[in-house]
Amino acid sequence: MGSLDSYLPIFILFVLALAFAGLSIVASKLLAPQRPTSAKEAPYECGIVPAEAPPQRFPVRFYLVAMIFVIFDIEIIFLFPWAVVYNQLGRFGLVEIIVFAASVFFSFLYLVANGALDWGPVKRVRPVASEQSRTTTSTVRRVGHGTGEAA
Amino acid sequence: MTGSTGVLGALAAHLLGAGGLVLPHLNYSTILPELILLGGMLVILAASALSPRPLPTEVYATATVGLGIASLIASLVLWRDVTSHGAFTAIARSIDVDGFAVFFLVVVSCILIVAPMFAAGYLRREGITGCEYYVLALISGSGAMFMASANDLILIFLGLEILSIPLYVLAGLDHRREASGEAAMKYFVLGAFSSAIFVYGIALTYGATGSTNLAEIGAFLSRNVITSNGVLLGGLALLLVGFAFKVAAVPFHMWTPDVYQGAPTPATGFMAAMAKAGGFAALLRVFVSTFPTLRTSWQPVVWVLAILTLVLGAVVAIVQNDVKRMLAYSSINHAGFVLLGLEAATARGIAGSLYYVFVYSLLVLGSFAVVAAVGGNGDADHDISRYRGLGRRRPVLAVGFAILLLAQAGAPFTTGFFSKFYVVEAAVAAHSYALAVIAMGSAGVAAFFYLRVVFVMFSDVGIAGASDVSRGGGEIARAGAVAAEVREQDATLLGGAGASAVATLVAPAYVAAPELAPEGTPSEPEVSVSPWVTTGLVLCVGATLVFGIWPQPLVDFAHQATLIF
Amino acid sequence: MSVHASWYLTLAALLFTIGAVGLLVRRNVLVMFMCVELMLNAANLTFVTFARALDDIGGQVAVFFVLVVAAAEVVVGLGIIVAIFRRKVGATADDAHMLKG
Repeated sequence: MGSLDSYLPIFILFVLALAFAGLSIVASKLLAPQRPTSAKEAPYECGIVPAEAPPQRFPVRFYLVAMIFVIFDIEIIFLFPWAVVYNQLGRFGLVEIIVFAASVFFSFLYLVANGALDWGPVKRVRPVASEQSRTTTSTVRRVGHGTGEAA
Repeated sequence: MTGSTGVLGALAAHLLGAGGLVLPHLNYSTILPELILLGGMLVILAASALSPRPLPTEVYATATVGLGIASLIASLVLWRDVTSHGAFTAIARSIDVDGFAVFFLVVVSCILIVAPMFAAGYLRREGITGCEYYVLALISGSGAMFMASANDLILIFLGLEILSIPLYVLAGLDHRREASGEAAMKYFVLGAFSSAIFVYGIALTYGATGSTNLAEIGAFLSRNVITSNGVLLGGLALLLVGFAFKVAAVPFHMWTPDVYQGAPTPATGFMAAMAKAGGFAALLRVFVSTFPTLRTSWQPVVWVLAILTLVLGAVVAIVQNDVKRMLAYSSINHAGFVLLGLEAATARGIAGSLYYVFVYSLLVLGSFAVVAAVGGNGDADHDISRYRGLGRRRPVLAVGFAILLLAQAGAPFTTGFFSKFYVVEAAVAAHSYALAVIAMGSAGVAAFFYLRVVFVMFSDVGIAGASDVSRGGGEIARAGAVAAEVREQDATLLGGAGASAVATLVAPAYVAAPELAPEGTPSEPEVSVSPWVTTGLVLCVGATLVFGIWPQPLVDFAHQATLIF
Repeated sequence: MSVHASWYLTLAALLFTIGAVGLLVRRNVLVMFMCVELMLNAANLTFVTFARALDDIGGQVAVFFVLVVAAAEVVVGLGIIVAIFRRKVGATADDAHMLKG
C-alpha cells in the first residue's frame, strides 16, 4: 500500500476544496439578504438582455474546417508510432509512410480544388449543379456564404 | 493525447525490447485487385481536382469500368495462382489468398464493371456532376475485397468500415432531395451502431482467445475445448449481430426499406449488391472456417435469423405498392436464402451461398437500374402504377425487367432458379428440413410480388384496346404457367406442393386486383434509357439467361472456391 | 496497488450499455453520435484491458484503428447532418420523417 501514501496530499487537497466550496455556498445562503429580481435571476448579470434569439446558423465553413481538422488530426496517430521507430523500419517504413501520406495528400488536393478551404468571398472553382435554379437549398447556401457570391 | 502516449510508450518499448523489428514481407501482388481500385480512385480524384473544367460523368464511368475490368483480370491471375499452388496467407498472415477470397474478388469486380454504367445514365439525367459516385463506389468495392480476403478480425472491421462509410455518403449523394439525406442519416446512425457492436464483439473474442487473427483463433479453439465461455459466446453473438445489420437479416433489417427507398436508385442497387457481397464474405469465413467448433452454439441462432428473414422479407413485400420498397423487402428475403447456406455450414451450403451472392448481385443491380429509368426525372415516383403498360411502351426494357424479376422469383432457365435450388438442396442435405420447407414457402410467396409487377407491365387493362387485353390475358396465363413450373420443380424436391399450388392459383387473382383500381395516371410517364444503361442491362440479363441455361461454369467456380478454403 | 482487470471490463460493459441504450432512446442526432463514440471507446477499453491481461501488443494496436475509424465515421456523420439540417432549425431525428419506419 506504499503507493497509496503518495496520493494522500492530493486526497487532502480534494477534501479541502470540497469543504471550501460547500462552506462558501452554505455561508452565502445563510448570511446574504435574499431579494431576487428578474435581472438577477438571469444567467449572466451583464450586458443587454437580447430582444430576440440570436441567428441559429453558423456558416457551413466552420463545420467543414472542423471536420477536415479532425481527419488531419487523427492522421497523426499513424505518424507518431512510425516516428518513434523509424530508424529500425528503414527504407520499408519510409516507403509505407510515403504511400500513406500520398493518399492523404490526394484527398487534400480534392478538398482544395472544391473550395473547401476558401475563406471569405472567393469565387467558386466548381459551379454547384443545384444552383441552376433558385431553391431553398441554394438560398440558404448563399446566405451562409455571405454576399460575395452570386449564384 | 496524454491517454495515447502511454500506449505509444508501451508499443515502442515492446518493439525496441524485442531486439529489433521483424518486418513483415509485403507481397503486394496478393492485394493487387484492392490496390488497383484504390490507386485508380486516387487518380480519378486527382484528375477531377486538377482538370480546368468539370469532366463529364461518362469519363469517370469509363475509368471506373476500366478499373473494374483490371481488377477482374488481377483476380483471375490470383485464381490461377491459387488453383496451381493452393491457398496461402500473406502480409503478416493477415491476408488469405484462397478460392473463397478470389471468388468474392471476382464478384466485387463484376459489380464495379456494371454499376458505373447504370450510374452514368442516372447522374447525367439528374444533373449530378462530379466524380463522387465513382470514387465512393471504388473505395467501397476495395473495402468489400478486404473483407473477403481478410484473415484478421481487425482487418475485417477495417474492410467493413471502408465498405460502409462510402455507402452512407452514396445514400445521401443527391442532396437536393430531402429523402436522400434522410436515408443517409438513417443508414449512418444504424450503421455506426452496428459497427460499434461489431468492434465490441471483436474485443470480447480477442479477450477470450488471445488473438484477432482468424487462423490463430481457430488453432486456439481446436487446442482448447471451450463450450460455455461467456466472454467468447458474447463476442460471437455481437459479431453475428454486427454482420446481421450489414446484410439486413431480420430482426436487424429496419434500416433497409427506408434507406433503399430514399437513396438515389443506382446507389441503392450498388449498396444492395456490395454490402451483401462484403457482409456475407466475412460472415461465412468467420463463422464457418474459424468457429466450426462452436457450431452447436451459433447454428440455432442462424436458424432463427434465417427463418425470420425469409418469412418477413416475403410477407411484407407483398403489401408494398412502391416498387423500390418492394425490392428492398425482396432483398431481405434473398438474404434469408444466403443464410440457408450458412446454417447448413457444409461445403455444399457455402458453395450455394457463394453462387447465390454472385447471382443476386447482378440481378439486383439490373432491377434497380430499370427502377431508376422508370422512376423518371427527380427519382420521385416509384409507384407500381407507373409500370402499367410498360410492355407496350418500352417492350425491350419491360422484357428485360421481367426476366430479372422472374429470375429473382426463381424461374427456371435463369440463374435465380439454380441459386435457390442449391441452397435449399444444401439445407436438405444438412437435415434442416423445416428450414428448407419454409424457404420454399417464402419463395412461393415472393413469386406473388414479382409476378405482380410483371403482370402490371404487360397488361393494359383500361388503357389500351381489346387486343391488348387479350394479350395481357395470354401473358397472365404464360406467367402463371411459369410459376406453376417453378412450384413443380420445388415440389419434386420436397413435398411443398400444396402451398405452392395455392400460391399459383391465387397469384393471378391478386395481381389482377390493381387493374380494377381507377386510373390515377391519365398521361403516361415518359421513360428514357441511355445507351450506358442499355449496355449494363444487356450484361445483367445476358448473364442471367446464359448462366441460367448453361450453369455449369459458374457452379463449378463456386464449388471450387469452397474446396480451396 | 493494482485494480483487477475485471473492473475495467465491467466499466467497459457499462459504458457500452449506456451508449447502446442512449442511442436507442435519445432523439437528438448529435447525442446519438456521442453514444456511438461511447460504444466504440468502451470497445477500446476492453481491447486495452485484454491486451494488458494477455501481455499482447495486438489489442493496443487495434485501438489505433478503432480510433481512426471512429474519427472518420464522425466526420462523415457530421457532414451528413450539416447537409440535412442546413435548411432546418434543430437537429432532431424526429424531424426526418419523410420515410416511414
